Amino acid sequence: MGRGKIAIIGIGEVPTAIMPERKPWDIIYDTCMQAVNDSGLHKNDIEGVVIVSPQAQPRLTGELSFGKLPEELGLKGCRDTVLCNAGGASTSNCLRLAEQWIESGVAKAVLIPHVTVHSTIPIPELVNFFAQAGVDLQWEYPFGSTYNIIMGLIANRYMHDTGCTPEEMASVVTALRSWAARDPNSLFYGKEVPSVEKVLASDLLNTPLHKRESNVLADGGCAMVVVSGKDAKKMKRPAAYKLGESARYFSGCPVLRDFNKVGKGFRVTAQEAMVKAGITKEDVNLWNIYLAYPLAHPIMAEALEVAPTGQGGKYFALGRMSFGGDIPWSTIGDAPGRGHTGSGVSAATYVETARQLMGKALERQVKDCRYVYQNTSGGSGFNNIATIWGREL
Amino acid sequence: MEFEMTKPVPEVQPWSTRFWEGTKQGKLLIQVCKDCKAKIFYPRKYCPECWSGNLDWIEASGRATIYTFSTAYSMVEPKFMDELPYTIAYVELLEGIRMMTRIVECKPEDIKIGMEVEVVFVERSGFALPYFRPIKK
Repeated sequence: MGRGKIAIIGIGEVPTAIMPERKPWDIIYDTCMQAVNDSGLHKNDIEGVVIVSPQAQPRLTGELSFGKLPEELGLKGCRDTVLCNAGGASTSNCLRLAEQWIESGVAKAVLIPHVTVHSTIPIPELVNFFAQAGVDLQWEYPFGSTYNIIMGLIANRYMHDTGCTPEEMASVVTALRSWAARDPNSLFYGKEVPSVEKVLASDLLNTPLHKRESNVLADGGCAMVVVSGKDAKKMKRPAAYKLGESARYFSGCPVLRDFNKVGKGFRVTAQEAMVKAGITKEDVNLWNIYLAYPLAHPIMAEALEVAPTGQGGKYFALGRMSFGGDIPWSTIGDAPGRGHTGSGVSAATYVETARQLMGKALERQVKDCRYVYQNTSGGSGFNNIATIWGREL
Repeated sequence: MEFEMTKPVPEVQPWSTRFWEGTKQGKLLIQVCKDCKAKIFYPRKYCPECWSGNLDWIEASGRATIYTFSTAYSMVEPKFMDELPYTIAYVELLEGIRMMTRIVECKPEDIKIGMEVEVVFVERSGFALPYFRPIKK
């Protein structure tokens, strides 16, 4: 995974919504056509399609994994397609595959689409899926654990260790939603940004997690076109160049996850990715974080040394990560701000990274955005993949 | 809208059968590697430290401290709603093993990180699940 080997040169996205009448293939058509048109390439220039796996949708997964997309869209130049699944880390792996395909000559231009439609999945299936996802069926699930409870366990320990208050935790939601309210692709676009008091007044789901600190499942999709860094430079179009990457595996089973090892993993992967990119944290203009739950953001802020140890929550409460603050952070508002589209939130975050570096983020545009840190994480947090992206090679 | 209401039981692997037989006898067993002396949780087919198949079991003291916890009040699967509120915790056994469990026999508001607890076994569909309760001083 070398510096500047690939670049995102086209992006497409549809608004996140709860819209059962919008079929998965509607989204695939719209996002892929937007991305290819945005790249300046012709549809038949797309030689590879690497698809982000839609979690919780076995039928769609089957169609996509068995090669329907290039045929449906008439991608006559397509040489191969594959579906890639690492949960929330799927998109990072799609980009790795695209890099390998481009480097090895399989494809010169790769399309990376994602689609998820939660609204047509029967509610009992959804509830059961998210109760079992990312937890062990022998050692965790029988006790009545859920995704929300796993986050509550992490947050309670963090608050115990650091003295972070419920108000500071709640302020993360306010920060994320301040970006989302200005994002036309967010479920919460144009909606009121909830105050700390309003977050804490919402129902307590499980300590310390309130309803407004959780996620709303929604439908969405996006797509990216990726070419080699050299080709992107020749095309003289706005692009996002991948400059560095680092990853660490933690554990598949949440109970075995060493919280200190996770924090260290967040820190080390960021440092390694920045070294590969040839930058320091002072160069980063946007910390584009994907963690799915707001409660984990203060931990990440401290691990990245954006906030001093024990003061991650305080930084959010001071508004430093909010729209208009001095630390641009998760400018689509992560899953709590965007609406949760399964592993698609990580895809949407990459699209936002490219959008910011291309200078297309409108009201949310980070001034003179040259370097973006972006992470993804899969399952209930089995790993962390840190990447650095730049607007130039 | 029909929800599956049967409470789940552990999906047992051949190499974890002994653990669940132990809980039915009121014993909390820990798998150990006879070659590298590692204490192993959760039980594996081979030692995750040295890949030895020379594995055995010891009985744990059943005493632990709460590393972290979260008390559920809603948004759990319908099959667990009759038990709300309930507290899920990670507990650290004196033997150095961390496991997920339920904290029972106390009010949720009395549960604290660092609290000393002891194992108690709760029957479900032929299994005995290891829950923990505060140690009375």
